[in-house]
Parts: sequence; C-alpha cells; structure tokens
Amino acid sequence: MKKLIGATAALLMGGATMAYAQTQIEGGTEADMVLLPKFLGILVFDQANEGAQEAHAELENPGELQFVGPTPENSVAGQIELMTTATTQGVAAVMLSNNAGDQIAPAASAAQEAGTRVVTWDSPIPGGEGEDIFVAQVDFGSIGVVMADMAHSILDGSGQMAVLSATPDAANQNAWIASMEEALASDEKYADIELVDIVYGDDQSEVSYNRALALVDQYPDLGLIMSPTTVGIQAAAKAMQDEGLCDDTKVSGLGLPAEMVSYTMNGCAPEFALWDFRDLGYLTYYTAYGLATGQLTGEIGESFTAGRMGDYTIEEDPGREGAKRVLMGPFTVYNSENVEAAAQ
Amino acid sequence: MRLIDRMGPQTLRLLALLIVLALVLGFFATQIPNYLNGRLFNRISSAVAIMALIACGQTLVILTRNIDLSVGSIVGFVAYATGMMIHQFPDMHPLLLVAFSMLLGGAFGAVNGVLVAYARVPAIIVTLGTMAIFRSMLVELADGSSINTSMLPTWLVNFPNQQLFVLGDLQFRAGFVTALAVVVVAHVALARLRPARKLYAVGSNPEAAEMAGINTRATVFWAFVLAGALTGLAGFMFLARFGNITVVAGLGFELQSVAAAVVGGVNIFGGSGLVLGAFLGAVLVNVIDTSLVRWQLVTEFWREAVLGALILTSVAVDQVVMRRLTRLRRAGRSATPGASARPAPGASAPALGGSSAPHGAHGSSASPGATGSARSGSANKGSDRQEGQR
Repeated sequence: MKKLIGATAALLMGGATMAYAQTQIEGGTEADMVLLPKFLGILVFDQANEGAQEAHAELENPGELQFVGPTPENSVAGQIELMTTATTQGVAAVMLSNNAGDQIAPAASAAQEAGTRVVTWDSPIPGGEGEDIFVAQVDFGSIGVVMADMAHSILDGSGQMAVLSATPDAANQNAWIASMEEALASDEKYADIELVDIVYGDDQSEVSYNRALALVDQYPDLGLIMSPTTVGIQAAAKAMQDEGLCDDTKVSGLGLPAEMVSYTMNGCAPEFALWDFRDLGYLTYYTAYGLATGQLTGEIGESFTAGRMGDYTIEEDPGREGAKRVLMGPFTVYNSENVEAAAQ
Repeated sequence: MRLIDRMGPQTLRLLALLIVLALVLGFFATQIPNYLNGRLFNRISSAVAIMALIACGQTLVILTRNIDLSVGSIVGFVAYATGMMIHQFPDMHPLLLVAFSMLLGGAFGAVNGVLVAYARVPAIIVTLGTMAIFRSMLVELADGSSINTSMLPTWLVNFPNQQLFVLGDLQFRAGFVTALAVVVVAHVALARLRPARKLYAVGSNPEAAEMAGINTRATVFWAFVLAGALTGLAGFMFLARFGNITVVAGLGFELQSVAAAVVGGVNIFGGSGLVLGAFLGAVLVNVIDTSLVRWQLVTEFWREAVLGALILTSVAVDQVVMRRLTRLRRAGRSATPGASARPAPGASAPALGGSSAPHGAHGSSASPGATGSARSGSANKGSDRQEGQR
C-alpha cells in the first residue's frame, strides 16, 4: 500500500515536473511582428490575420503587428522583398505563408542571422532552410487520407478521379496530393479508385473553371474532381453545375463552407473539408511570439500553452527532413448536415 | 475575275486565319480522342466570349499606336464592384447593371486616356502604372472578402449559359452571342463610320491625321474610353460566368488580349487590323490553350512553353498562308497596271483599284517591312487604310 502511495506520489511529481516544462506563453513583452500571407485580398488570409490580431491583443504586446503582403501578380518577388524589408526593420518575428518555394530561403536565412524569428504557417519553406518552425494546419499525411476517404465515399468505392490543384509549385498542395496518392496506394479499399490526371488552375476562377471542363471532356467517365484549394473547388463546382454535369461528376476537396453551401446542398459537392484559418493565425502568433520573446527555444519536444487553444508540442516534421513543426489539427468534413450551420 | 482577286488584304488575312484555325483543329483531332464535336464548340464559344470583348477593346487602342495593359485589372475591379452593386441592390434592372459596369470601365479608360493623350505619357508606362493601381484599388475594395455565387441573383448567374438557339450539336449561348454581336458591331463601325475611321488615320500617320484636321488627342482619348467600356462589359460577363470573384480576377488578361489582337493580324505599331481578326485571334489562342490541357503528350510544366510555341507557329504559318494567298491573287492580276511597280517580293501587295502609284504591303504583322523606318511604315499603313475602306 505504502509502495503504491509512493508510486502515485512519484507519478504526481513526475506530472508536476512535466507541467513545469510546459511553457505558458506570457504577454507584455514588446516584440514587433509581421504576418506575411501569400498575397493580399483572399478571405482565408484575412481570417488568419483576425486570429493573429486576437492573440496580439490578448498578449497585450506593446509592439506592432503588421499585416503586409504582396499584390497577387507579384507574389513571389513581393514576398522575398517584404522578407528583406522586415529584416532591415529589425522586427522580432516574421510569420510567413510561403508562396515562393525555396527561392525565399536566402532572404529568410538572412532574416534569421539578423535575429528575426521566421515562423511559417499554411505553406512552409519546402527545404526547411531559413525557417524556425512550421505551424501546420493539419497533418499533411492525414489530409491525404481524408481526401482519399471523401473520394471513396463519393465514388462509392470505385471510379475515376482527377485532381484540380492551385499552381504547379505550391508546396502545400503538392504535399497533400502526394500524400493522397500514397493513401490511395496503401489500402486495398481504394484499389478501384483511379487517379487519372492532375491539372492546375493557378488559383484563378477562370483558369480553374476551364480546366475542370477540360477534365470532363477528356475523361468521359470521370466521377470526381478533387480540388485541394478553395478557389478551385468552387470554380469546379460552378462549372459542373453550369453544364448540368453534377449527376455524373462530383466535386470535393478543401473549401470554405460559406462559398460551398449551395453546391453541397444541391449535390454538386456532397463532401469537402477544411480547418479554421482564424485558429491557425492565432496559434501561429503564439508560437512566433514565444520564440521572439525567448520564452520558447524552438527545440523538439518543447511544449507550450497557446491561450484558448490549449497545449502544443514542437516536433519533427514527418514530411520534411530536419524541419520542425507545431501541429494544429484536426479539420472538419462538411456535408449537407453541417454545412449550413458552418456557413453562417 | 476570281473570288480571291476581289478580296482586300485584310479579308485575305481573315481567310488565312480561318485556314490556320482549321489546321490547328485538324492537328488536335488526330491527337485527342472525341475532339471535334458540339461540346468543343460549346466550350470554346463560352470561354472566348469574355476575351473577345477585351481583345476588341485592345484592338481599338492598338490601332492608335498605343497599348492598354490595365485591362486585366479593370476586368477584376469591374467584376467585383458590379457584384457588390447587385448584392446591395438585388432588384436593380439588368440593363442598369450592364450600364454601370460599362461606365465604370469607361471611367478607368478615361484615366488612361487623359494621361496618354493629354499628358503625353507613353501608353505602356501609363497603363503599366494603372494596371498596378487599379489592382491595388481592388484589393482595397475587396478588403479580404470575395464575391460568390450565393450573393448574386439567379438571372445574372444563368445569363451566360442561356441557350438562344441550337444548330445540331452546337449551342449558341447568350454570353457568346452577346460578345459576337458586339464584335460585329465594332467591326462594321470601324469599317464604315467616319469617326471610327479616325482611329486608323491617327495610327497610320499622326502628323498627317493632324494636318487633315483630325483631333488626334481626342481620338486617342476616346479609344481608351471605348476600350475601358468594352472591358467593363467583359467584367460584367466575367462576374456572370464565374460567380466567384477574388482579387486575382482577370490577372494576365492584358497579355492574352494583346496576343489575341496580334495573332489576329492587328499591327502592333498601329494603323491596321480588324476587330474580326482579333476575335479570330482570341478563338485561336483559346482553342490551343483548351486543347493543350487535353493533349496527354504535354505535361503541365511544359504547357505554357508549348502554348507560346504554338502561338508563334500559328503566326508564322499564318504569314506563309497569307503570302501564298497574296501571290495567288497577284498571279491572277499580273496583267493589271501597277503590278510591275511593286517593290521587293514578299513585302508587298499590288495596288488595288487600278492606281499606278506603288503601294507598300498591307503593313500588318505579317510583313517584315512594317517594322522598318517609321516613315515608310506610315506610308504602308496609309495604303492599307485605303484598302481597308474598300
């Protein structure tokens, strides 16, 4: 009995030490922060900014939180330029949704050398160079499984599917598509689902719309268009609806409930998934602020509490060797039962 | 007299374009299964409706020796603003909404026009600047949100796909028919109306036009305003067709429209070209673009490069065909006076109408001579103008 109590006490103490290692991110310290999205004017990035502003206010950071981004036609060069500007301004942390591939790595490394912390979110620096931590919205591997599962349920186990992605060099979309292909290959139940093509709509409505139509022309038996981008999924759904093809070819992928509600209710896009971009901005801010103020060292295994969202641990990124990530997760699958409530 | 002898160089050019279009369609038909059918027509016609309007506007500007690079940003802004407008006032009359988008586009065009025509800043500089300014205004206006279909009335969303009439498998939809009607009206106006002919005069030889009593500044100004209004109409069509408008709407349309015009035989140095040619150019570019997606041989990463190569090839083939047609016609008229006075082969067409003065080539992009000195280029275009009037 005594032994048991001793063991319990040891456990409790162990628990206490672990709780001690759990860093509670505290506010009040001044740190200038920059939130740098792929480009300005897209709803999800503004939602991320709302989340970051919420965290900024909550932590009572006397410093400034700037939301700056390039214009859409100048995304890659603009991001690199803004990264360099932030470095010369000597801001404490840059929060980057990378659209420049590894091209931004030199600018990001220079920022780190100047003492600026670089936290990526939404889309990482593929090689991991120049990046402290990536705040992953969901596990990139699990996105693949969720997309494969949605395909399985929509196609009822067998049929042809094609992918309509954003740009050919978008790091996040490419990783998700790769993980979906892996998921499709790994399980017997997906054996009858055939991925026939991958096309790119450049995250522009008109290009995505025309690509979706080209897909159904090319593959008369196509049962599903999977689009892991909010612009593509909506354009594809509209194209199928306009041409009266919704009965033959369904649309799925990652979409915003407010934009997808009508297509989900009329059956063109019976199922799709997404995470909360406000939460992503909020968690990214906490992570970056913790690093910038020295409360976090950014080591693997370090745990911290990010305000209302609870506890997170810095871990190795399974998709990118040598890179570190904080995993937000999970995400929601929307269908005709829950989409209307979420669209409000 | 054979039919070909009666054709002006511009008509010949249209014929050459149609031949190239047929060649392209024939080529893809051998590469892509289930290619030539009614569905292809429906796809291309629906898709080209928007670009046709923009290319038409672009042509008006290019004719006056200018260029408008801000059309993509105007399409985006007008589409978004029109979406906001109908969302605020869902009961607005459709024609009023169309008028709104055209006026808004025309206002943007007027900004370009004032800077180019009256402040005398080169058009490429002005419109490069306004391209960025209009796009940034859109980012500011949108404030992170986007327009989507649920905010738009049903009549608007359904408009472009309404079938007006059907010929066999070919559906003629409202969007395409509207665009075609605008193109035909613009084409006829440019060929017949006196004020519209000023565009050619100013582009052919500004000094001569000035001396002939044409107000060149006002002409250039109105070219930009009209181009803006047509682009505004394209913005309306863009909204109706895609429903989902973000800040990237219309991105890259400026170069597509220039490509359509130049492929369609509009001289990039001004003074010659037909709106109908620009329309065919838009169709040709769209056919290639759409077909490439379905051509399994080409991967995504090569698609842009192949698109560029195919556009260049079609222009080259178009020149060859054009030269052949010209020679064919020349052969039939070798007995007529003036033919002996023609300058170097390949760069010339014989004079029409029995005039004995040596005329230059029709001066479009098909003739390398058009890129020569400004003076001789102007002379060429002058003859072209006469021929275009026929």
